[in-house]
Amino acid sequence: MESKVQTCANVVIVQVEGRVDHSTAPAFGSVLLPHIEGCVGDDKKLIVDLSKVNYMSSAGLRVLMIAAKGCRKQEGKVVLAGLQPSVREVFKIGRFDMVLDTYPTVRDALAAISPAAAAIYIDR
Amino acid sequence: MQNPAISEHTEALTIDAVAHCTEFASARARQAGFAAARVDEVELVVEEVVANICHYSYGDRLGNVELACRLIHGSMLELEFVDAGQPFDMLSMPEPDLAVDIDRRGLGGVGVPMMRALVDRASYRRDGERNVLCLAFQSACRLGGSSQVA
Repeated sequence: MESKVQTCANVVIVQVEGRVDHSTAPAFGSVLLPHIEGCVGDDKKLIVDLSKVNYMSSAGLRVLMIAAKGCRKQEGKVVLAGLQPSVREVFKIGRFDMVLDTYPTVRDALAAISPAAAAIYIDR
Repeated sequence: MQNPAISEHTEALTIDAVAHCTEFASARARQAGFAAARVDEVELVVEEVVANICHYSYGDRLGNVELACRLIHGSMLELEFVDAGQPFDMLSMPEPDLAVDIDRRGLGGVGVPMMRALVDRASYRRDGERNVLCLAFQSACRLGGSSQVA
């Protein structure tokens, strides 16, 4: 699993690539969860870009649940972008559609949560 | 004429059982001609089952997990998980209510519905001091449909 982080105005975009399974979920958590801190209101929002994740098991869902609960607790916003069909199916089984908002692309997610960030975002 | 059943077996300590068993089952599914998407589904279930065995059956203590794979009727992959932990029947675990507000959800609870959604046949028995969980997978993908385990 690989990851990279990009900041765009008030939005932090965490992009993950590869498999998120039992063995890589701790690394996924290490990358994602520190960004929950300060994710409050409009000050800072978080997008998890999963467009390059082709496999996610319940261990990965657990990390996302921790992130979602952490944000909810402090009235912050974390959303997901670019779910691959196989990952989307796993989300449906786990009813994660009720936990996190999802968008087809990062640009769509930005437009929904921070128009200011969407205006300066450059696709890479 | 049907192909004879092919059976292979592996075992691992709980400390690395999830990765070991997942790789083992994945290789057998590929050998059986399963499509990549179905191999992923097998891996999802194996990861879930072995993680649950480590946690519930062995209580996160060191233990041994055996996994036997058999190809039956030429195309169905049967996985038999055996452990020597306390009695643990994953099939009888209650279905969690995932349709509740996030504040009322736990961190997990996805494993059982995932297994039920992806497996074609499942059985459990307590054999002496051992748990024996048997899961069977047809080669056809289950995700994207509404089928449930029999």
